[in-house]
Amino acid sequence: MTTALHNSPTVPALGEGARAAPPAGALAWLSGGLTAALGAVGVALGLSVIFGEPRQLRIGWLLPLVGVRLDLDPLGGLFLVATGAVSIAVGIYAVGYAQRERWARFPLAILPLFVAGMLLVPAAGSITTFLVSWELMAAVSLFLVLSEHRREAVRSAGVFYAIMTQLGFASILLALVVLSAAAGGDAFSTISAHVHDLSSGTKTTVFLLTLMGFGSKAGLLPLHAWLPRAHTEAPSPVSALMSAAMVNMGIYGIIRIDLQLLGPGPNWWGLTLMIIGALSAVFGVLQASVATDLKRLLAYSTTENMGLITLSLGAAILLRSSGAPTVAAIALTAALLHLLSHAAFKTLAFLAAGSVLAATGLRDLDKLGGLARRMPVTTVMFGIAALGASGLPLGAGFVSEWLMLQSLIHSPADGNTTLALAMPLSVGAVALTTGLGIAAMVKAFGVGFLARPRSAAAEAAQEAPASMLTGMTLAAAACAVFAVAPALLGPTLRQVLAVLPTVGGHAAGPQLGTFLRLPGVGGSLSPGLLAAALIIAVLLTLGLSRWGARHRPAAAMAPLWASGADTLSSRMQYTATSFAEPLQRVFDNVLRPDIDVEVTHFAESQYLVEKVTFRSRLADPVEQRLYTPVIRAVNAVAEWVRGAHTGSVHLYLAYGATGLLIVLLVTR
Amino acid sequence: MGILLLVPILAPLAAAALAAVLGWRRLSAWVTILAALSVLITAAVLGFGIESGVRFGVGDLLRVDSLGVTMLLVIGTVGTLATWASIGYIDAELAHRHTDQRGAHLYGVLLPVFLAAMALAVLANNIGVMWAAIEATTVATAFLVGHRRTRGALEASWKYVVICSVGIALAFLGTVLLYFASLHAGASSGQALDLDVLLSRAARLDPDVTRLAAGLLLLGYGAKVGLVPFHTWVADAQSQAPAPVSALMSGVLEAVAFCTLLRVKSVVDLSLGTGFLRTGLLTVGLLTLLVAASMLVVQKDFKRMLAYSSMENMGLIAIAASAGTRLAIAAILLHVLAHGIGKSLVFLAAGQLQAAHDSTAIRDVTGVLTRSRLIGASFAVGLAVLVGLPPFAMFASELSISRALAGAHLAWALGAALPLMVIAFAALVRHGTRMLLGPPDASSPAIAVPRSIAAALLTAVILSVALGMTAGPLTDLFHTAATQLGASH
Amino acid sequence: MTEATYTGALDLAAGAFLLTAVLIVWRRELSAIVRLLAWQGAALAVLPIIEGIYQREPAPIVVGVVVLLLRAVVLPILLARAVGTEDQERRESTPLVNTTASLLITAGLTVLAYAVTQPIIALDRSPTTRALPAVFAVILIAVFVMVSRRRALSQAVGFLMLDNSITATAFLITAGVPLIVELGASLDVLFAVFVLGLLTSHMRVAFGGTDLDQLRELRD
Repeated sequence: MTTALHNSPTVPALGEGARAAPPAGALAWLSGGLTAALGAVGVALGLSVIFGEPRQLRIGWLLPLVGVRLDLDPLGGLFLVATGAVSIAVGIYAVGYAQRERWARFPLAILPLFVAGMLLVPAAGSITTFLVSWELMAAVSLFLVLSEHRREAVRSAGVFYAIMTQLGFASILLALVVLSAAAGGDAFSTISAHVHDLSSGTKTTVFLLTLMGFGSKAGLLPLHAWLPRAHTEAPSPVSALMSAAMVNMGIYGIIRIDLQLLGPGPNWWGLTLMIIGALSAVFGVLQASVATDLKRLLAYSTTENMGLITLSLGAAILLRSSGAPTVAAIALTAALLHLLSHAAFKTLAFLAAGSVLAATGLRDLDKLGGLARRMPVTTVMFGIAALGASGLPLGAGFVSEWLMLQSLIHSPADGNTTLALAMPLSVGAVALTTGLGIAAMVKAFGVGFLARPRSAAAEAAQEAPASMLTGMTLAAAACAVFAVAPALLGPTLRQVLAVLPTVGGHAAGPQLGTFLRLPGVGGSLSPGLLAAALIIAVLLTLGLSRWGARHRPAAAMAPLWASGADTLSSRMQYTATSFAEPLQRVFDNVLRPDIDVEVTHFAESQYLVEKVTFRSRLADPVEQRLYTPVIRAVNAVAEWVRGAHTGSVHLYLAYGATGLLIVLLVTR
Repeated sequence: MGILLLVPILAPLAAAALAAVLGWRRLSAWVTILAALSVLITAAVLGFGIESGVRFGVGDLLRVDSLGVTMLLVIGTVGTLATWASIGYIDAELAHRHTDQRGAHLYGVLLPVFLAAMALAVLANNIGVMWAAIEATTVATAFLVGHRRTRGALEASWKYVVICSVGIALAFLGTVLLYFASLHAGASSGQALDLDVLLSRAARLDPDVTRLAAGLLLLGYGAKVGLVPFHTWVADAQSQAPAPVSALMSGVLEAVAFCTLLRVKSVVDLSLGTGFLRTGLLTVGLLTLLVAASMLVVQKDFKRMLAYSSMENMGLIAIAASAGTRLAIAAILLHVLAHGIGKSLVFLAAGQLQAAHDSTAIRDVTGVLTRSRLIGASFAVGLAVLVGLPPFAMFASELSISRALAGAHLAWALGAALPLMVIAFAALVRHGTRMLLGPPDASSPAIAVPRSIAAALLTAVILSVALGMTAGPLTDLFHTAATQLGASH
Repeated sequence: MTEATYTGALDLAAGAFLLTAVLIVWRRELSAIVRLLAWQGAALAVLPIIEGIYQREPAPIVVGVVVLLLRAVVLPILLARAVGTEDQERRESTPLVNTTASLLITAGLTVLAYAVTQPIIALDRSPTTRALPAVFAVILIAVFVMVSRRRALSQAVGFLMLDNSITATAFLITAGVPLIVELGASLDVLFAVFVLGLLTSHMRVAFGGTDLDQLRELRD
């Protein structure tokens, strides 16, 4: 009988080093198109639910033992719209990006699946459907993060992300099954009907666990450390989807469970949210301001913005329970608006960063520069995004941050000590965040895009292809809408607020028209007019200077003075590290950088310096202080258990004998 | 119908007899596959015909209810996959001189005997016969574990036989005590160990004796399931055994032993109330989870890693059984089925990696996804199934177990179990990415995949995906089995 | 047979059973403990035979004779042949627990057995169950022997002792288990010893000895 070993003809083993042949453009078009189409479906569905009737769907046989129940209401619809809009831009962008970067088949195939998962989460109508879609979304995002798994940094980021996401999921799972068991039902509608049956202990447990789990997904402290790693190492369209759409799901979870289902919470819930939000915002922006990796900077900026949103949510709860429903409504509107505008400018930022990465192969700001001439469109796009992230007027984030500050400043003056302490501190936190955010964005834009290129790769950069530019333009258009005409979102936000009676009260929210009016509070703003005024001022100045130039002599050419050296080199510019150095020094205790300065002298003389090496490493201090001891403890316990399994059959039988003795003694 | 019950036992025995006569031949191998398939088909036929009743066969000797049908399904499915893959596996072993004709002959005879013993354990009506069948599986697998005759294989067989036999002996003592209690509750001596008789007289069993018996039975059958404190054989035996045998041991044998425990539990709960075994199962389950998670973290060998992953799942099942509700039992059955298929997938892939590298160390294996799309994808899918990612069925079962635990006021146990499961997840993901992803080492050998193993792998992947989508008619089966076990709602 | 004779004979058999167990703990030579195991099998077989004579039923007597053949003759012969092929010292190497401590532990386990079997005796006060504690103690002693002996064959003897004691318990409290179960159990024991014997000889070839301390290569 032959014992032939068959190398099965249907399963070719790939040779080492051979990547899959670059997929035909067709697959990239299919994948990107499907993603964009799903996004469009999401937007349409979301809008129809916000302005129309809620929808339901139930499939009992799908998913063994669990069944699927979908239940759309305006809150879910808002998140559908946000996710969908981001997906449209990213999908179109991904067509060009995937072809440029030669994506393999598997990531292209699962990109639409990721968007589908993200669209299912806000649509879930029962605990089990929510958990399934949540984990599906997380699993697919993990596979997408691991797309370029040949690089060690990507693998380690992926593993870190997988573990933290599972930890978050475990706490969400525990919270939701406890909630479901205590309320006696699986569907959200059943739970909200029985919420008054829950003891306050149950509610507290659920709140804390969901805060931990959803907060981790949203990138809030202290379980945020996966965010800078995963968003940095993922391919840029995936980073955009994750930063602009997936982290929103964390906020969705907090709003749905803690604000809507569990009903109006006690004071300390709002306070906890505010504290975590403030800490995340300040920490995130601090890390962003000293980061030299462009995508890492943007990732920490996501933490910052999610922190601000959480701060507003907490303020809304606190204000409501302190009897100021109008102001609470403003805070809630601010949170939702900031969520939407963050989605817009973060998408744009990551897409632009991806364009830079594809053109130069670099993420390091210290090596970029001079891209304004070589990639003008990308530069303008990133400029718009940076403006939005910084919260300055004409930026997408301006109106929402203004609303946030208004709600914090106009809290009721009488009585409540908590309020009196919390609000000014929050204002301080928001102000600090905004200031540092401006610094971070100026650094990113100025060092990364302006002046001269600092490396050969940056010099050789070329503009991105048309599909990538189209995607970015869509996102930029969205940013412009947020900057100039947020009134367009007024009706949407009003509908959503109506579904959250426990927080906004039934008070009218702010009126977003050409003039933003805050009822009962007396603040108003007109972003459109402000934008118009600024543009007119700029045009006027330009025109005047041009007219003035007619009376000046012609320009003469002369070499630039470079302090005696021959020419200006790119080494004579600010780098990102040097730009951030004063900040690093000020916040040294928080950041704890690892700085190494090595001076090499000439062999012949100790007085002459041959080389100075400067190495600076900024690890995440939360990771060092919090995660490392936990990991060490787990390893210690594991080693102890391993030590108990020596391989000796006598010891193993002794364990059994001990068990026997225990059983005999216990059953007496 | 009664004759049908004999098929799952006699068909594999017939295949074993044929293999004993013919030696390792294609014909005997295919007859073994057919025998395993017949177990599966019998399960399907019985499942459709049984509704919520119980069928007896061969007088009162054999008995099948929905739980039995489910277990036969598991035995049949994983058995078919394992016997199918065995063709390619043994051919490869012979080609590489890891075994000789005698070894292959022994393998061909013992594998179907193993299947027959498991089928008997699931179909027996008498608890004593169940016990004898489970002890028979130890004897049958002893030389399957020691198939390769290396020092490691011998060491593993010795430890396996000794530790399991001590455990099973304690289970026998428990059975004797239960028999004693049953006689004193008025049963006639020939029938006192029959399941139905025990169930009907459960309320009259002496509580002290029953408590002692239940403790011993938990300890003893827990040895075969892989629960603390008789868990120490699992990693050794399942890592040294040939891959198809490991798949059967970790995917099916442990589940069959647990099924016996469930049957005992239904009797004991009626006699003592649910409290006693609930505490016992919780303690044992949580300890097993702790040991499994810890050993997964420090693991350096990928077959041992898979064995500890089985231990983790068995610990989880024990905790779920302590809840005892209908949802919990149904979830356990789904979990067992999905776990069996996933484990075969991952063990068969691991077997090919072992064949290629001649080593089972994790650090020797790199870049599998790049080197072999089939093995890499199978291993990845298998790991995804095992760590409980959707869209695979173990996610749904773990979700349902969590809901059942919360509903049974055991949320604290869930809170203790979840961090351990996250730790196990972390370890599996770390080791998995180290093996699967990244560029392969320059000196990595080629991974060959015999045709039958490739076919078994593909089938297992398709089954895992299908089961993850929907359980179809199995849902009713699981729920009926739960009700028949006397689960509360 | 009068009841007094019956009770006396039962107690004597149970006592002999326990005595052989203690002697196995005390002696170290492999050939000696195999011989003691044979005597133990005989003491085990006496239990159903006396029961059969007293109750005037043939079935237990038949069972007793089968048990005598199996556990006092066949299995010890199998083990003795395995001992015979041992080319190392026939003595046990230094045990893990010294003899004095072992005997003390044995005494402790016997006391424990008395305590544990109270509920069983309480349920059925008859001469047979009164002899139970002695036999139950052997279960615990057997586990102890398996834990504390270095040589493979000693562990096999311990395992057989465990099985003997559980069977003895069955005979004492329930006059044996149903025939089919006894059949299955006996077959299993036979095969188990067969397997252990084969494994021992393989071990001798692969490891050059049967000292179980050599079996420590499989660990994490």
